[in-house]
Amino acid sequence: MDASQIIFFLSAALILVSALFVVTARNLVHAALWLIATLFGVAVLYVLLEAGFLAVVQVVVYIGAIAILFIFAVMLTRRDLLSQSSQTNANWPVALGVSALSLAAIAFIARGFGFSLDRPLAPVPTDSLERLGQALVSPQQFVLPFEVASVLLVAALVGAVYVAMNKK
Amino acid sequence: MTITDFSVILPVTLLTAWASILLLAELFLPRAQRPFLALLAALGLALTLGISLAQSAQEFAPGFGGMVVRDGFSNFLNVLFLLTGLFGVALSYRYNQRAQIERGEYYPLLLFSVAGMMLMGQAADLIVVFLALELLSFPLYILSAFAYPRPQSEEAGLKYFLLGAFASGFVVYGIALTFGASGSTDLARIVASVAAGSANLPLLTAGAGLLLVGFGFKVAAVPFHMWTPDVYQGAPTSVTAFMAAGAKTAGFAALLRVFGAAFPALAADLSPLMAILAAVTMLFGNLIAVAQTDMKRMLAYSSIAQAGYLLMAFAPFEIEAARTMAVAGALFYLLAYTLASFGSWGVVIALEKDLDRHLSIGDFAGLARRSPWLAAAMTVFMLSLTGLPPTLGLVGKIYLFRAVIEGGMVWLAVIGALTSVVSAFYYLRIVVNMFMREGEPAVEREWWLEFAIGAAAVVTVVVSLWPFPLFEWAEWAVMKLF
Repeated sequence: MDASQIIFFLSAALILVSALFVVTARNLVHAALWLIATLFGVAVLYVLLEAGFLAVVQVVVYIGAIAILFIFAVMLTRRDLLSQSSQTNANWPVALGVSALSLAAIAFIARGFGFSLDRPLAPVPTDSLERLGQALVSPQQFVLPFEVASVLLVAALVGAVYVAMNKK
Repeated sequence: MTITDFSVILPVTLLTAWASILLLAELFLPRAQRPFLALLAALGLALTLGISLAQSAQEFAPGFGGMVVRDGFSNFLNVLFLLTGLFGVALSYRYNQRAQIERGEYYPLLLFSVAGMMLMGQAADLIVVFLALELLSFPLYILSAFAYPRPQSEEAGLKYFLLGAFASGFVVYGIALTFGASGSTDLARIVASVAAGSANLPLLTAGAGLLLVGFGFKVAAVPFHMWTPDVYQGAPTSVTAFMAAGAKTAGFAALLRVFGAAFPALAADLSPLMAILAAVTMLFGNLIAVAQTDMKRMLAYSSIAQAGYLLMAFAPFEIEAARTMAVAGALFYLLAYTLASFGSWGVVIALEKDLDRHLSIGDFAGLARRSPWLAAAMTVFMLSLTGLPPTLGLVGKIYLFRAVIEGGMVWLAVIGALTSVVSAFYYLRIVVNMFMREGEPAVEREWWLEFAIGAAAVVTVVVSLWPFPLFEWAEWAVMKLF
């Protein structure tokens, strides 16, 4: 077992354990903090896959912006941060069964995918970041989706303002 | 970047720009001039419709490195979506004043949604498919909640948003798996990788299945229909009318484009699944609709059932000859459904005098005496949705059933025919109420609304008498698809 495998198992354990705490924590702020730990573990996985840029984006966008936004939203909108109600309802055994079945189905299908542990990582070109930047503004590549995403954000923003606006 | 790139997305660009300007126009209009916004929105839609029609004679062309295309299919749908937008504006104009939701954001959001639908018809890459799906959905979530703080409208908006976001997750996951399986999100390249044998078929099947779940939600197919009755009932009726026609057509545009163009290799796996989905949707939608007394809920279940008939078009995908006819039949039926759906929701708006009270089927009693033309138009729409002559609905159903039978799925056609008989019960119950029961319904007289209802009824009847040019247009539209 080499160093990268040890790091992989550690970060995988971090992801799973903290993800479990995200859904079981009674204090909503704690849940958001555990979510940050989960997202950090995923960032480590990206580093292991030699996707350095993606790892940075994961930290900056998910941990830096989205998780912090969650904490803000929770603190600004909830009067009590502790959830008193039960975290499960009467249907939890059914949900457990469905989840187990889904897992089994994914495992069954995944056997046909042809994943393999011995396959080496595809080499990452050194100018990958430059290529990404150019692809985003190249008319032959992603400039149209890029623009459509902007229009989408405008529509969402207008809607958010409308819904949040105080109507006498 | 070339002129072709711009010309391919010209209608969508124009509409988006128009919507952005319309957003600012409200600033410069005094409150009393607000109704003017509806006219401006209609003008933008009409202008875009003119450009789309002018472009229909032009050649098939890809744009932006294959991200979008302009072909017969997108042209047919562009026209349909723009008509949907125009109907939507006509139905909203006075209703929004009555419901006191006449706000400047309404029409820009509606135009953004139409732009998303048009982009969906033109998308040739899964990334654009996803963005178009979101662009058409986001404004709809907001419009559903537009009548807040009315609790039902809030509930409708929140429910639609949460379940819609959940369904979008399925679409993204499906796209990711498809990309993993074929190495591309471009529909043409996915097909090429399948043909070359380099695609990972189990992974592609899983991806296609997830996409089906996401799109199934948009078109309200059983078992992904749960949101439909509550959202249709709670949203402002003008929004419901737009959503029932537009979102469903756009969902089918995505299904037809992606499953028609990208996954023919999976036809053997998918077509039985599609047939079962169609059968379940027809059975469930029609049977539950029978039990409804609330008008909006009944129409919601009826729209679920209609999605079932449209899904039949995917059943005969394995047989080459039946495929073209099935997709052309689906396009034709979408047009017939759009007209009948808008018409019947328009009549609901005309009768919805008291917005806090739910309109029930009994409220239609005596409409024939009170307002004979409205009753006649409603009869046309009900006949069209049932599939009885002399309406476009009948012609559309004949095309779909013929394609299914030629595709060798007689059992599905039998279920379709039997459920149509069931649907006759609840559609014709309204006709019976209008003509044979006594009552004093309160009818709102609104010029634009009556014009829209009348136009939909006249086209539904007149075109059904000589539907062949329209069907030839639909057939021409799908020619390049395969």
